Amino acid sequence: MLEIQHLHKVYPNGTVALTDVNFTVNDGEFLVVIGLSGSGKSTLLRCINRLIEPTQGKIIWDGVDITAASGADMRRIRRQIGMVFQQFNLVKRSSVITNVLAGRLGYANPWASLLGMWPKEERDRALRALNRVGIADKASARADALSGGQQQRVGIARALMQEPKLILADEPVASLDPVLSHSILQYLEQLNRDEKITAVCSLHFLDLVHRYATRVIALKDGKVVFEGLPQEIDRARFKEIYGEEAVEVRAGMAA
Amino acid sequence: MRYSIASLIVPGLGQFLQGRRARGLGLFGLIAVMLGLIAWAVAPPSTFSESTINFKGDPSNWMWLVVPAIVWVWAVWDAAAPPPAWSAWIVTLASLILFYSLGWEASGLDPAALTKNFERAQLVLRPMLRPDFIQPRAEHHEGWIELIVPCGETPAEGAHTINDTTLTLSAGCTAVGDTLTVNGSGFWPDTDAQLVWQSPIGDFFPLRDEANQFRSILVDSQGNTSASFVVPNAIPPGIDPTLPQEQRLYVQQSRPLGGYELSTNGAFVVQGIYQTVALALMATTLGTLFAIPVSFLAARNLMSANPITLAVYVTVRTLLNIVRSIESLIIAVVFVVFVGLGPFAGMLALAVHTVAALAKLYSEVIEGIDPGPIEAMQATGANWLQVVRYGVVPQIVPPFTAFTIYRWDINVRSSTIVGLVGGGGIGFFLVQWINLSDFRAVSASFIAILVVVMAMDFVSARVRERLH
Repeated sequence: MLEIQHLHKVYPNGTVALTDVNFTVNDGEFLVVIGLSGSGKSTLLRCINRLIEPTQGKIIWDGVDITAASGADMRRIRRQIGMVFQQFNLVKRSSVITNVLAGRLGYANPWASLLGMWPKEERDRALRALNRVGIADKASARADALSGGQQQRVGIARALMQEPKLILADEPVASLDPVLSHSILQYLEQLNRDEKITAVCSLHFLDLVHRYATRVIALKDGKVVFEGLPQEIDRARFKEIYGEEAVEVRAGMAA
Repeated sequence: MRYSIASLIVPGLGQFLQGRRARGLGLFGLIAVMLGLIAWAVAPPSTFSESTINFKGDPSNWMWLVVPAIVWVWAVWDAAAPPPAWSAWIVTLASLILFYSLGWEASGLDPAALTKNFERAQLVLRPMLRPDFIQPRAEHHEGWIELIVPCGETPAEGAHTINDTTLTLSAGCTAVGDTLTVNGSGFWPDTDAQLVWQSPIGDFFPLRDEANQFRSILVDSQGNTSASFVVPNAIPPGIDPTLPQEQRLYVQQSRPLGGYELSTNGAFVVQGIYQTVALALMATTLGTLFAIPVSFLAARNLMSANPITLAVYVTVRTLLNIVRSIESLIIAVVFVVFVGLGPFAGMLALAVHTVAALAKLYSEVIEGIDPGPIEAMQATGANWLQVVRYGVVPQIVPPFTAFTIYRWDINVRSSTIVGLVGGGGIGFFLVQWINLSDFRAVSASFIAILVVVMAMDFVSARVRERLH
């Protein structure tokens, strides 16, 4: 169980990104965070694994206070939290397999990994992860030789290497062609359903939210303005979250 | 009307007052420059025309005053009402004619010289068609004998045997201009021999006959020879010619062995090129080692966190810009004085320039780094070193390597130039051959430089392509 308690984030330049955010994620949930660009979704996700340091508040995961963990403890927590990024965040010049293996850095022997040496079992694990997202044949290709959809699948395979209990997905389909959105989200859904990996995912398109979320929270100006089931978001709620001028668009091609 | 009068008094003043300041200043500047140039072309300052430069001015250049007059009139017109486009073209054309005519005169263009002195160019170009790199292989056989010129208290022995050759002279001492007879035995039979003189300070020069051809003498079938010769004046200037000096007469034979070998100069070319490539490699390596840490200090994204690091960044950037703007030739002059002639001075000069150039390129790579992979590595629970190894290194190593190889390529080219001022390598030999007018050797070194530079260019382009 992941508990976010009174979370605040103020950036050094004075921007208030999160104000008193409280919610709970139960194990096995597919929680979707929605909100306009700049509403604090990315900040919230990055506070959970402390890529961004919260200003105030607590994040408690399975009884452990993440916000209080330091150094080696924090790295041990991070390695159990997979992360998928909007821009994929692959090393473009490196091969696909190297990008996937990097997901294992938190477990690997530090010195061997610095020399780029990986035991056979880890390579096999990486190939299995690639196989799972359907691109095992691309293992030795350079990451930038892949299409956007394939790159995001590499990103998922990298997160899989961490054998995560929790996956944070920061707008995983926002940089992709809308028709590819479902293929990526289905991989995340599978992991959530079959491996019982809890997922916290920020999304833009409401039809994707309806299709994949088990629960939704909405952020507006850094505050939680809605928490509930996806089907509860009707036209009125939508206007409330996205503002009067918003018009709903669809990612298309519902699966 | 007011503005026209203003522009009539001071060209461009009207436009300036109208608020078209750039145009006003431009017109004023244009006319000021033209008047200055014409004054210089007609009557340069006396200190200048009296100097060694042959530039006395020419009163006929006063006619160019027409051009600034045209511009001035146009400025008055423009201040009154916008003149048609064609008038601006006339002003531009007239200005260009003025600048090019005076420029032609100033740069001393003299196309006639190209045809007048063509035979002098041939003196340089002819030998260059036969680069002195290889020569036919040959074996040599010689004997020598000592004599004293002019006569002193003890004459030389008059006979000398070395290896299997023996030479005897009709006198052990003599005076310049006397005729002596030399007899020899033990030479290769039926092979012509050359007479070569060695001066008291060790210089060799072949003896010449009346027709100014090298003296060639016959050896009979028994290996014996006999010849008379005139004793040359081999006393170097500045030495008392009445002082008795030891000198030598050499009788030299050579016969071809078939095949070719490196000539003496060819060997120097090879040594010079080898030194050039090596010193460029050393300079690049040394420069890279220093440029890497410096480049981190010159990367804005790493250094803008607080005022102290920002000050370091500004200082390092400024220093790099200053060093980069100093030609490595100039740096080499300083190092030649500092550590002495030779490749070490050239290497240091190139290294200093390399640090400045590479640090800037590297820092731009660091500034352009994608923060995404770094974030992704942190999210996997990697430690700091692992983040650098997997998130940063793959992003910067290929461009760093590409820039370094490119720099080596540049350094091979500049080390030739650095050699001209004593920085070692092929340039060092080249400048000496130019001074000695040994154009065959000059041509050999040109070809060697060409081959090496083309090869480096090709290899570095290929490697950089692969790294991209």
